[in-house]
Amino acid sequence: MNEETKVKEPTDSVKSLWHKDTLAEIDYKARAGKHRIRGCATPRRMPNFDDLMILPGQLTRMTIDTYREDCETRTVLGKRFAKKPLVIETPVMIGGMSYGALSKEAKTALAKATSLVGTVISNGEGGILPEELENSYRQSIQVLASRMGFTKRNLEVADMLEFVYGIGAKPGLSGHLMGSKISAEVAELRKLPIGIDLHSHPRSGDSFGADDMIIKMEQMRELTNWEVPIFVKMAAGRVREDIKIAVKLGIDGIILDGCQAGTGAAPVMAADHLGIPTMPALVQAVRTLEEMGVKDEVSLIISGGIRDGADLAKALAIGADAVAIGTSALIAMGCRVCMRCHTGNCSFGIGTQNPEQRKNLDIDEAAERVANYIQAMTAEAVLLAKAAGKSKLKNMEREDLRALTLETAAMTGIPLVGSDLVIGEGFGFTANNKI
Amino acid sequence: MENLDAACYKSSELNEIIKAKMRDGLQDIVIRNSHSMHNMCVGLTGQGNITIEDSTGLYTASFMEGPRVVVEGNVGWYAGDDMMSGELIIKKNTGCNVGAYINGGTIVIYGSTGSRVGYGMKGGSIIVCGNAGRWAAQMSMGGNLIILGELGQQAGESMYKGAVFTRDTNAVNKLGGNVFLDEATPEERVMLKELFDQYEISADPSEFKVIRPATSGRHKYVLFKPVLKPKAAKKFARGGEFRE
Ligand SMILES: Cc1cc2nc3c(=O)[nH]c(=O)nc-3n(C[C@H](O)[C@H](O)[C@H](O)COP(=O)(O)O)c2cc1C
Repeated sequence: MNEETKVKEPTDSVKSLWHKDTLAEIDYKARAGKHRIRGCATPRRMPNFDDLMILPGQLTRMTIDTYREDCETRTVLGKRFAKKPLVIETPVMIGGMSYGALSKEAKTALAKATSLVGTVISNGEGGILPEELENSYRQSIQVLASRMGFTKRNLEVADMLEFVYGIGAKPGLSGHLMGSKISAEVAELRKLPIGIDLHSHPRSGDSFGADDMIIKMEQMRELTNWEVPIFVKMAAGRVREDIKIAVKLGIDGIILDGCQAGTGAAPVMAADHLGIPTMPALVQAVRTLEEMGVKDEVSLIISGGIRDGADLAKALAIGADAVAIGTSALIAMGCRVCMRCHTGNCSFGIGTQNPEQRKNLDIDEAAERVANYIQAMTAEAVLLAKAAGKSKLKNMEREDLRALTLETAAMTGIPLVGSDLVIGEGFGFTANNKI
Repeated sequence: MENLDAACYKSSELNEIIKAKMRDGLQDIVIRNSHSMHNMCVGLTGQGNITIEDSTGLYTASFMEGPRVVVEGNVGWYAGDDMMSGELIIKKNTGCNVGAYINGGTIVIYGSTGSRVGYGMKGGSIIVCGNAGRWAAQMSMGGNLIILGELGQQAGESMYKGAVFTRDTNAVNKLGGNVFLDEATPEERVMLKELFDQYEISADPSEFKVIRPATSGRHKYVLFKPVLKPKAAKKFARGGEFRE
């Protein structure tokens, strides 16, 4: 064989362990000597609601006319003990995204959107912007370990309270807000020095553990005259144990944030490796509430990667009472998920405090887009629910679901498509082929 | 003046009665048999003097706005949390985390207090006549914490705003991260004198130094990093014995 005829040897390119993203991560650490922060959510592929299908009503159940008949979407949350439970028109809440992470314009637009569709918005860390409160349909107020911007006045305006223990994007870590976003106005509300890189308080200074929290809960009930529904917001981790403790604290509801959830800034490590995904977390939460015999009393709101009416319908079918959205509402306003919210540089005027960039967000237009999006996603869920024969969205049930993959079947206890195969921990299904 | 027997009520009932009496214009209320009850005087609003004759449990006078509450005995954890205004006067000692997140008003502790007094405080004043435990005014965002006795370790850890006044001669060795020890300004000394006169505390304002946050700008704030000490680890090389 001479030189010309020699077969060219292919160049190996490593596609598995040492792909280019891994190299870039190592290069970054090699140069900077520190871990990386980023905005949005983990880019890792996680099991999600796409791995479930909804069974349509055919001969076994009558379907409801998609185009002419009613399907109720009104949702009541927090009725376990609160005298004034929260009534919203769609089971889609806008999750707490702080003023600071988001611009005043974005917060105002989100609040306005809730008034257009009749739902609730949570303020997020760092106090309540007057513009948000003025424009929101119902206002949830977070009680966080940092208590930045929080006073007794906040309790008086709350339609719902959330004791925040953690968020899905960075469970076990406290809030981050990089210095570029601590403008004079944000600093004023949070009582912080302008421009400081904020790593907020790690644990609540007024309750060090569940026993104290029970007494704290009595205090809160007294302060709110037992009127305002009290929720805990927690990241999905040891879901079963955490939910049991939460229920014993005497809360009205739980917001459970899976690990696909978004954030304004989180260490990459935290977003990528802490917590468990939304769908299996929801199943575990529902199982636990059922085991405790309080499923009908305790409201369950699920969040983390909720995108459309299918996610909503499937979450309700598993047993959630509502979903909370963050990232998708920002996308509806124009966000393109560049994942750089932490830098404070956002040309859409959403995740920034830069006065010039903020001008790029038209509040009314953004509000309308978010409202349209919530409206459309509610309509999508209704379409699926009607096809499954429901005249109320909340009547979606787990029996309407089937798992597409063995993995999902095992995680959820929902039978595999095309079979009655049930794997793993039960979820109320009777198996023909229990493994 | 009205006397109430706490043993006859749940804390919420007792608080309701106090509120009603204050609404009716009653100025002085004395409570006996508190038996370390939790949540006493929570969320009281308006004017009035409430004296509790013995000790109280957790969350005493939290979220209070206006009244003056005097506790003759000891007080449990988290007293005065999220207080808005008014006075909480404690004649003896307290547990930990007293004055967490207070927005305003004054807490005076004539005895000693536990750890994290003034955790995340945002305004108001806390005076501790005795000693304070660790992490005083940790991550505070405003207000003044005045400690007459000994400071615990890590004082002022990562304060964002506010001031801790101390006359502990060893204070410089007890500072937490991201704070420094400074001289008090003349205005601050005047403020101290006024408070000492008001609460009949005998102390000389000129003896006090101030722990202040080092958060004057971006990136001055130092956060935890693992400390790797290759030289120190050398002795474990080649079979050196390792003990934790
Ligand atoms: C920009 C941004 C800021 C956030 N800030 C807060 C916050 O202050 N407090 C909080 O509890 N959660 C915060 N979150 C989390 C959301 O409340 C919610 O749990 C999450 O966005 C849900 O996941 P999703 O984004 O996939 O819908 C934030 C999320 C985003 C995207």
